[in-house]
Amino acid sequence: MPIRFHWRLMPGGERSGNIRDRGRTAREMAFPDLEAQTEFCRAAEHAGADSLLVNMNYGMPDPVLLAAALAHGTERIRFMIANRPGLMSPTLFVQQVNTLAALSGGRVHLNMVVGHSPEEQRYYGDMLDHDARYERMDDYLWICHALWDGGGADFHGRYYQVEKARLNTRFVAGDRDRPEIFVGGSSAQARAAAMRHGTCWVRFAGAPDAVRREAEPALDAGVELGLRLSIIARPTRGEALDAAYGLIDRSESGRAGEERDFVRTSDAVSMRAMFAMADTEWLTPTLWTGAIRKHGATAVALVGSHREVADGLMEFAACGASNFILSGWPKLEEMVRFGEHVLPLIRAMEGSASPVPAADGEAA
Amino acid sequence: MTTRLRFHWSLSQAGDGFRRSGATSRMIGLPSRDAQLELCRCAERNGIESMLMAIGFTRPDPTLLSLSLGMDTTTVSFMVACRAGLISPTMFVQQINTLSAVLGGRVCINIVGGHTPTEQRYYGDFLEHDDRYARTGEFLSVCEAFWSGREEVDFNGRYYTIEKGRVSTPFVSPERRAPEIFVGGNSGQALELARCHASCLWRFAESPDALREKIAPLLVDGVETGLLMGLIVRPEHDEAVAAANRLIERFGAEARDAQRSFVGRSDSVAYNSTFSLANSSADGWITPTLWSGAVPYLGAPSMALVGSAEEVADAIIEYRRSGITQFLFIGWPDHEEMERFGRDVLPLVRAKERALEGAWAARQEVGPCR
Repeated sequence: MPIRFHWRLMPGGERSGNIRDRGRTAREMAFPDLEAQTEFCRAAEHAGADSLLVNMNYGMPDPVLLAAALAHGTERIRFMIANRPGLMSPTLFVQQVNTLAALSGGRVHLNMVVGHSPEEQRYYGDMLDHDARYERMDDYLWICHALWDGGGADFHGRYYQVEKARLNTRFVAGDRDRPEIFVGGSSAQARAAAMRHGTCWVRFAGAPDAVRREAEPALDAGVELGLRLSIIARPTRGEALDAAYGLIDRSESGRAGEERDFVRTSDAVSMRAMFAMADTEWLTPTLWTGAIRKHGATAVALVGSHREVADGLMEFAACGASNFILSGWPKLEEMVRFGEHVLPLIRAMEGSASPVPAADGEAA
Repeated sequence: MTTRLRFHWSLSQAGDGFRRSGATSRMIGLPSRDAQLELCRCAERNGIESMLMAIGFTRPDPTLLSLSLGMDTTTVSFMVACRAGLISPTMFVQQINTLSAVLGGRVCINIVGGHTPTEQRYYGDFLEHDDRYARTGEFLSVCEAFWSGREEVDFNGRYYTIEKGRVSTPFVSPERRAPEIFVGGNSGQALELARCHASCLWRFAESPDALREKIAPLLVDGVETGLLMGLIVRPEHDEAVAAANRLIERFGAEARDAQRSFVGRSDSVAYNSTFSLANSSADGWITPTLWSGAVPYLGAPSMALVGSAEEVADAIIEYRRSGITQFLFIGWPDHEEMERFGRDVLPLVRAKERALEGAWAARQEVGPCR
């Protein structure tokens, strides 16, 4: 199967030519921005994206409903719905997912996460700690699968109990009887959950050797590997570096402090690890951590010419990655550039029988 | 100043007519969206304010379905049913607010306690009837705190604990900061819940006299009462009665068994008391226009007003005199009944309503000292 690319949905308020300005857009991000976001969805279809990740947090519209609204104005793009167990009954969740599948012609993936901030979980009435949230996800996904299996099962777990749960609204999407499940998180618990219940383990990008080593058990179990990262691709490496460094310079002051606060209050293993990793600015000649401290863990970025970025992605592919969930600054322009200039190179390399080429400058 | 009567319709049967006449396993989980959309558009042409979007394991999720149908309609609202206990109140507020932002505020909610313990267990809910109501009260308190515009919501209850809760997406509507809240149920707990949290309580139909006393405590507190009921209107009385009888001719033992089985499983006061009321009526007529004949086959919501347009309009006004101010109808089929209602009944109701208001206003002018 060809490598699949997914992009993070552009939040409300983000406009062409503007790098996200947190102060200005925090309020706008809270609203569905259907015109601009539908346009983004169409651009994603054009740029060869498989799906768009629709995030879940208190600052944004509900992802299931937002996806339903965007599906209404699009034909091909899928929606990767983020969901945290603990906020609704797994039965109700499956009912919503199945309904969304029916309304969108089956264009639904799931991104299961446990949540990264105990503080935010308490907004929703959830008081569990990190490890318990993973145990609960196990119960939750067991019930989800039982419903997709056809229902009628009893389950008496520590966090959820259901009796003979069934739903008349089935999941319908071509020949699938349930969505693909991308389990997100870089901890061993996340990987184990992906291996038990998921189709793909999604983690932040890191040094390729480490990614390969850590993904091995999942890959051996037949679970796909997905990497979350950002892309800064330009015609030349010089232009890409200018764009990357400009990104830091242009960030408003105070942003770095805010991100540090966020990491301090997070109990996500992956977020903390990424923040620590940012001590090394270049993990490979193209994999840059410089924006993490200002823009968060997803800002780990492949930076370089179109060819260098394509090579960087193929290097991850050689480590077993078959899915990439991408972000950019701004997302729309980066996604369009990616579709025009980087994706054709990837498809050509995938098509050729030659071994994966070494990244330029790797010897340096 | 009096309340103008308001009319709503249930989307329940669109694309799956007579769905209540069979076993739950036979109910269509994905009814035709075209049929549903057609009924919504019909509502917009016929003076129907909102569509009830029911909840249950046999149906698609009502919040998502509302969003989808709302994007292809312009004026009709969606009354989204919700059972507390299936979702975090914070998450629920986030979903309803998102829905309101997409639909420009055409959203209200219908809070129900759930009617069947076995079904509640499908969703992981093991509480008894009375506890479900207690939990629903907490659920609505949390929702109201978010909708009051508070920056942070703290709540420490028996069923929910929320710490510094935030939801950035507000309820979006040209007129309101929060959705209008309806509560469904005939029990004392439902009434109390409505009194504390709702603008209107939905009940199943009984005679106007029987209702007058039951709803008085709500009226005192400014909470309305509405009836969820069937409607069978024809040009002449006899035609309407014939249509009613034809409706149940098609059903046999299977539909009866389905209803008996439902009532056997249900702990709902509303469903069970309406079933008993129907069984206690020898000829199926609770009043000359209130017919219980379909209840054994189609359940409590099928207690129906039957008659000519004039008779049904009079019956609606009679309910108005007893304090009922909203109606939520179903019909067989819905589409034709809704058009007859909009064309033949509603203009009569509005005229009679104006006359009634005029009479009440004149009486008030005489003064209290009389």
